Amino acid sequence: MPKLTIDGREVEVAQGTNLIEAARLAGIAIPYFCYHPYLSVVGQCRICLVEIEGQPRLAIACATPAADGMVVRSQTSSRVREAREAVMEFLLANHPLDCPVCDQAGECLLQDHSMDEQGGQFSTHMVETRRTFPGLERRLLGPHVVQNQNRCIHCSRCIRFTQEISETSQLTYVSRGNHAYIDTFDGRPFDDPFSACAADVCPVGALTLREFRFRKRAWKLRSTPSICPGCSIGCNLWIDHHERIVYRFTPRENPKINATWLCDYGRFLAESLNAHGPAPTFRDEDGSSSSPPLEETVRALALELKAARTLRVVASANLSNEELFLAREIFAGYLHGELVTPVWPGEPRRMKNGHGVWLASSDAHPNANGARRLGLDIVDESGLARFLYGAADLTVLLDPLAHPYLAGEEALQLLRVGHTLVFSQRQHAVCEFARWTMGVASLACNEGTFTSGADQVQRFQAAFAPPRGALPLWQWFTLLARELGLARLAVATPRDVFQLMVSQERSFAGLAWEELGGFDTDSYREHQHVG
Amino acid sequence: MSTAPIHAANPEELREVRFDAAMESQIAELLTHYPIPRAALLPVLWLCQKRYGWIAPGVMEAVAARLGLSPAYVQGVVTFYTMFHTTPPARFVLQVCTTLSCAVCGAGELLAHLRKRLGIGPGERTPDGTFQIVGVQCLGACGSAPVVQVNDDYYENLDPAKLDALLDELAAAKE
Amino acid sequence: MEPTLLKARGLEGSRTLASYLSRGGYEGLRRALALGPQEVTKSVIDSELRGRGGAGFPTGRKWTFVPKDHPGPRYLVCNADESEPGTFKDREIIEHDPHLVIEGIAIASFAIGAHTAYIYIRGEFVRWANLLEQALGEARREKILGADVLGSGYSLDIWVHRGAGAYICGEETSLLESLEGKRGFPRLKPPFPAVVGAFGKPTVVNNVETLACLPSILTRGPAWFASIGRPRNTGPKLFSVSGHVVRPGVYELPLGVTFREIIFEHCGGIRAGRKLKAFFPGGSSAPVLTAAEVDTKADFDACAEAGTMLGSGGVIVLDETVDMVEAAANLAHFYAHESCGQCTPCREGSDWLVDILHRILAGHGRAEDPDTILRICRFASQGMTICPLGDAFSLPISSIVSKFRDEFERRIAAATPAPPRKHPVLPWAGPRPGFGR
Repeated sequence: MPKLTIDGREVEVAQGTNLIEAARLAGIAIPYFCYHPYLSVVGQCRICLVEIEGQPRLAIACATPAADGMVVRSQTSSRVREAREAVMEFLLANHPLDCPVCDQAGECLLQDHSMDEQGGQFSTHMVETRRTFPGLERRLLGPHVVQNQNRCIHCSRCIRFTQEISETSQLTYVSRGNHAYIDTFDGRPFDDPFSACAADVCPVGALTLREFRFRKRAWKLRSTPSICPGCSIGCNLWIDHHERIVYRFTPRENPKINATWLCDYGRFLAESLNAHGPAPTFRDEDGSSSSPPLEETVRALALELKAARTLRVVASANLSNEELFLAREIFAGYLHGELVTPVWPGEPRRMKNGHGVWLASSDAHPNANGARRLGLDIVDESGLARFLYGAADLTVLLDPLAHPYLAGEEALQLLRVGHTLVFSQRQHAVCEFARWTMGVASLACNEGTFTSGADQVQRFQAAFAPPRGALPLWQWFTLLARELGLARLAVATPRDVFQLMVSQERSFAGLAWEELGGFDTDSYREHQHVG
Repeated sequence: MSTAPIHAANPEELREVRFDAAMESQIAELLTHYPIPRAALLPVLWLCQKRYGWIAPGVMEAVAARLGLSPAYVQGVVTFYTMFHTTPPARFVLQVCTTLSCAVCGAGELLAHLRKRLGIGPGERTPDGTFQIVGVQCLGACGSAPVVQVNDDYYENLDPAKLDALLDELAAAKE
Repeated sequence: MEPTLLKARGLEGSRTLASYLSRGGYEGLRRALALGPQEVTKSVIDSELRGRGGAGFPTGRKWTFVPKDHPGPRYLVCNADESEPGTFKDREIIEHDPHLVIEGIAIASFAIGAHTAYIYIRGEFVRWANLLEQALGEARREKILGADVLGSGYSLDIWVHRGAGAYICGEETSLLESLEGKRGFPRLKPPFPAVVGAFGKPTVVNNVETLACLPSILTRGPAWFASIGRPRNTGPKLFSVSGHVVRPGVYELPLGVTFREIIFEHCGGIRAGRKLKAFFPGGSSAPVLTAAEVDTKADFDACAEAGTMLGSGGVIVLDETVDMVEAAANLAHFYAHESCGQCTPCREGSDWLVDILHRILAGHGRAEDPDTILRICRFASQGMTICPLGDAFSLPISSIVSKFRDEFERRIAAATPAPPRKHPVLPWAGPRPGFGR
């Protein structure tokens, strides 16, 4: 294990670690634009130059492995500072100074470096007219990515991403030298299933996302760690939000699952988190509806549930481990209902992890494995149909989006036979005739854990409080438990539910809430990779 | 021996390219020179340029498919190098060297003469598609400056009179 | 001096195998095969042959960097990209004596244990690529190449690989990228090609002229080679002389001859009775020398002492009529055109220089321009870039500014302020619906 000194701080790192990562471990940020820990090292931008004792020339930190006894100077070297200033002057020679109208502003590595290391004291000898790329200034490259070639600093991260990670090789440089530009073949759409990652890795505003451009300034956004609800892979992400509106998902680093990537499908589910269920609604036999206050609703629900002679419950693999646990304890354990969890294969999704291995989704839910761990009865479409075909007084749907079959004519007909209670995140055909509809807040307001396809229990946090009327499902369950007199389950937080589950379930034994985060990542590093 | 004209295929013909047996066998031979198919990219592109006169998008796609590359990758390589024509060239491409040794030995006069005689400058072509002028960088024949490369052939130690004679010969031999 | 490399120049039919054999051709290869790889390498080290492509690295030493115990293939690549402005010597060898190159390649391949060699030749050299192909065909037919080289049991294939128009591909790592079918982007070093080269295998890249020296080193002995020139600067060298001399062309002269002898004796002096102003001693990437420095010796170390380099031996001679600002602008344009665009200082710096120099030429120079040029050159060289192209434009252009600063200042003193800059605006598309009147 080489031990070296960087700017006077000693640090010991693993063999093969480059100087950027070694410096990071020593708490020193070496700037970079073209380096990316999950892409090949090209050494193009030259901003990471450092001085190494005994070497006459400056070296690039990204391509220099740490060696034992090495003495490296970054910020403490005047040669390095001078060289970096020169590199910045070169980079900014042709980079438009349009930060006020650039959507990358606030999360632009070039801007950050200019402000952090140079204190905003930038001056240039450049008096020539800047190079421009007429026609490539505001161009839709594909369904999601917008290009402004004038801002490109030729770091080639986007090209390397499509060549090395998504493996479509859809992006390339055209031409060479200072007039080279990024393009797709013959003007074809950039429809890579991971296309938005190209905008993520872009350190500047050359590639931005159509869905996010100009909707919110980056510095207004707050990021909350969460898990992608799109499939069973369980990619780690940040929910970027402001004033209780979700603006986007950005990847959260996890080398075992999604490195720093998200697929376009999962990423653009972000919008769906802004839909929350309606306020509780009671619909009478005559079709008239009312919205009673919360306590009344819970009391009425408890009465309905206790009165039912035969109770069946459709759970969902979209629910958290805690919610599934509570559902099992209340509906199956205490109320003796019959409970199934439908699982839908959905479209196949895939993701490349940080070790270059492709992971494939097994189904379209974030937590089918959680349901399996809790020993719930998993059914496919025909199983679900058979389940609904059997007669019951009362059917409870914990999530009408649990399976697309539930929105079909057949399912709706079957559900109309008895009474239906539905907990729903948004309007659904079932809500139109259900006796009770309880609004459920979206993932953005929920807290808990999912069990990924690779059987890892991963935690997600609540970005903001739910809107009036809607509650996270776990909270509905704990209120209900209190009403039913189940003091054991009437706990205050998802963490409490988790502790209960850990103490009671062998499959969850030994897990600790605090250790399930993956939230301890270095936000600066994060920021440099996902732009 | 006079320089042979380029016969550039019509863009329509190159919309979708299928290599014939002769091309296929030449490509197969080229592939034996290298341990990986990608390395044959430049030779195969040269083969295509000889055959079709230029590298149309359809040609890039066919080459990409043959060598297991993405079309964008092939486009990136084609446009890195200056000698692949990505638009149909004229029959004679006059590549006038403009780097230092030629510049101090009269390359500027040659270009001025070409403009006077053909009415076009670097980057342009005559309306009849016979000539096209390209200002190029050092051709590696500085001792016999100024130099013009016409299609594949070098013409060295030129002056306006010799250039006139050359253009007459090329124009006459164009069919 | 009796020519070694240009022996065939002027002989009838010199390109044919028969002519080559009649001049003792392939005798060096025969001797090499008998000696064995280690002895061949030792001979080349003893001859003190230094690379003729530009960097002047000792050839034998370069070969020893190939890991001996590396399993799997290794390659020899002959660099015939010859794209350094002012250089046209390799073309001359191939024109008259292609078998000399092939024999050199075979000797070097044998020495490093390569069974496949490539000749990377610049795309424009169609004729010379064809001449090499013809010669290779002859050599294959006569079993000089192939599965059993000259009956020795050693096998060797040589293939010609044409570039397609890129100066940068003369740099050995971008040459390898180009050989592998990629854009010609130079690679980060280390690893050096001798360890990780073509197709990830150990590879030696040698210039045409370097390889052409090998047959005579083997037939006449390393001591003979080392007796030409002086220690560390041995052997015959081809000088490509262009520009304002009476007799431009390729001259084979011993290393250590002075530039005065080259320009005034061999090349007959300056045209039209004019005076020498300046010359580039080793291609346009070498810092310029003035007429006062014409007594500098033309060898690697003497050029280095004079603050320039022998480079490829391409001597570009400029007479008193040349405007050095124009010369600088011409070169800046060349390098900006040829910069691959991969790394920042070279990509931006080369283009920026073009803008400044053209502005000065247009009569709008500014007092600070010479210093700005020097600053750009300083930060685009000396390890700031991935490959030496940054140095290749920084060194000559900064040397022009330093040595001919008065010419810049004269122009700047007479300059007028540049007119207001025009920014491109979108054409007015006429009134659009929904915007009032």
